Amino acid sequence: MSGSLWTGIVCPQGALQAVLRLLPALAPATATALYDTVSGRARIVEINRAARSQGVYPGQALADALAIAPDLESLARDRKAEARLLEELALVAYRYSHQVAITGDGVVLETGGSRRLHGDLDAMLGALNDEISAMGLHASLGTAPVPTAACLLARTGRHVTDTETLRGTLSGWPLHRLTLAPAELQKLDGLGLKSVRDVLALPRFERERRLGRTLNRYLDQIHGREQTPLVYWQPPETFCQLLELPVPTIRSEALLFALNRVLEHLHQWLRVRDRALSGIEIELLPEDRGPKIELSAGLGQPGFQRDRLLEILRLKLDSIRLVSAIESLRVRADSTTEQRPPQADLWTGTNVNDAWPALIDRLVARIGQEGLCSIAPCPDHRPEKAWKWTPPGTTTTDADTPPRPNWLLPEPRPCRTDELRLIDGPERIEAGWWDGQDCRRDYWTAHDRHGNRLWVFREYKPRDGWFVHGLFG
Amino acid sequence: MNATNPLEQLLAERNDLWRGRRRHPDNALATGRAALDRRLPDGGWPRGKLVELLPERFGAGELDLLLPCLAELTRREQPVLFIAPPMVPCPQSLARAGLDLTRLLIVREQRHAFWAAEQCLKSGLCGALAVWPGGNGNNVSDRAVRRLQLAAESGDAPVFLCYEPGSKPPASLANLRLAIRCGGHIEILRSRGGETSGTIRLHADNVVPLLSGGARQ
Repeated sequence: MSGSLWTGIVCPQGALQAVLRLLPALAPATATALYDTVSGRARIVEINRAARSQGVYPGQALADALAIAPDLESLARDRKAEARLLEELALVAYRYSHQVAITGDGVVLETGGSRRLHGDLDAMLGALNDEISAMGLHASLGTAPVPTAACLLARTGRHVTDTETLRGTLSGWPLHRLTLAPAELQKLDGLGLKSVRDVLALPRFERERRLGRTLNRYLDQIHGREQTPLVYWQPPETFCQLLELPVPTIRSEALLFALNRVLEHLHQWLRVRDRALSGIEIELLPEDRGPKIELSAGLGQPGFQRDRLLEILRLKLDSIRLVSAIESLRVRADSTTEQRPPQADLWTGTNVNDAWPALIDRLVARIGQEGLCSIAPCPDHRPEKAWKWTPPGTTTTDADTPPRPNWLLPEPRPCRTDELRLIDGPERIEAGWWDGQDCRRDYWTAHDRHGNRLWVFREYKPRDGWFVHGLFG
Repeated sequence: MNATNPLEQLLAERNDLWRGRRRHPDNALATGRAALDRRLPDGGWPRGKLVELLPERFGAGELDLLLPCLAELTRREQPVLFIAPPMVPCPQSLARAGLDLTRLLIVREQRHAFWAAEQCLKSGLCGALAVWPGGNGNNVSDRAVRRLQLAAESGDAPVFLCYEPGSKPPASLANLRLAIRCGGHIEILRSRGGETSGTIRLHADNVVPLLSGGARQ
């Protein structure tokens, strides 16, 4: 283990942070407490400063706490959110080291090797901390030569690089700072052992006989005398997340806030996996078990820009009318490793390469895929089949056709000839025998009595009569 | 209108007087028609401004009027948007007028017309916009037009707002309002900093091909 160095990341009040970060900001002065229901009784687990000043303390029954502080914002503990928080931390850590493990309440990563790559350890930890703060989390980091100790030191924010200093530091610690079961702590306390030094002063054999093997091994591990078995964490292959909202909501702002958190996580995942986002699918699961609402957004150009994506999602959400509160969200990402070169051939010149696809994405998000298109000529003699809608920016070139009017009616409309003056024509179009829509028509340019130029035709087959098909002008 | 003429004459005689109505060729896009260019205060379609078109009937010539300018913009690789056109613009005809179809985007939804126009203008990426607010007999609200005008002013693109024939357009603050009569007569109803009298007849012979060419006439 010599030469290796481990950094632990722990979130003080992680359980509370895990829940609060999914809610749009509460005023910091709001007394907030997290409660957990153990054997039918709701007890306070974690509180913020404002709650503490009102006399709420961890371990208190929720009912008592609410009696003392009626304005207390009480939130239920969400273990899944806590696990997800650790996953997110691990994902950030994974960008700095491939040896990342999730311990009970934090994440450890090997920084001894990464130090060579990233340079100065302080700078690297600074960058790591900044990234965690950007996620809206408050974390504390600690470094030690052993992974188990790294997590312990993280709680106090100490950084120790060699085993001797580590042992010196630990020996002065009171025992309750170690992660020990309450029963074990009680036993040690009963024996009159108060600090790590006291325990280590006992002869090894005696210690093992009185305190049991597990505790002994733990002490050896934190002191680096024995290796800590670690299960290394790997980033998942695909991104799919189910997010339960702490408070079901019908407000799209609150949903967007939670989605923003998921996007943050997604961003980290994309970076770690070196992929580009090509689309995102979101399911909104209502509280009343009603039908789920599905949203999806594709990106014209794979990549990730959170602001842009959020805006697209906002547009999508705006177009949906929520009837019941949303309880949870499921987010799935489609990604690609494909690196597309910027679209330099299209929309060049004054256009910023990226801004145009962004505009198209935004428009498509609100109007829909069908609503925004280009138009292309089709090689067909029948004018109503000689054009088609195409995806934005794509079209075909056309072999020369005789002059056509500027506007085509969606459907030819029957008309009367007595008001028309034919001025140019006819253009005989006889086509479609191959697909059963056989037609024979003579097209004319005509003036109506108002002086408009119309494109009309006399049809012989399949119907007989005069029709307007387009307008010049 | 006649009452202003003596004043016009008096002012024109003074050469020490600077008058605000100057032509800014950079602020305008040539309409492709000399007769019209001469009558417009900026010598063409004003950039970053709202131009209202009131065709007497649909298809009275509004697209013919715009096409030379739009085609020129697409040749300069600037996208052009048709927002909520009431019929299908014929691609063959547009291509014949010199419009590069790859740079034409069409928003087909009437509901989102103003929103889409605003987004495009805000992005500053579009060469020009033609909007058909339509609205199935409902009149267009002046608030929507005002918003569009503000959005237009933030960018560089002219915005052509084509009212539905027969609808009552709101009193506007737009720079230019043209009525299009059947058969291609144009009447300038309102022109900020320009004259508003008379009709312009757009003959085929006063169509001047724009510099970069390409329009097959």
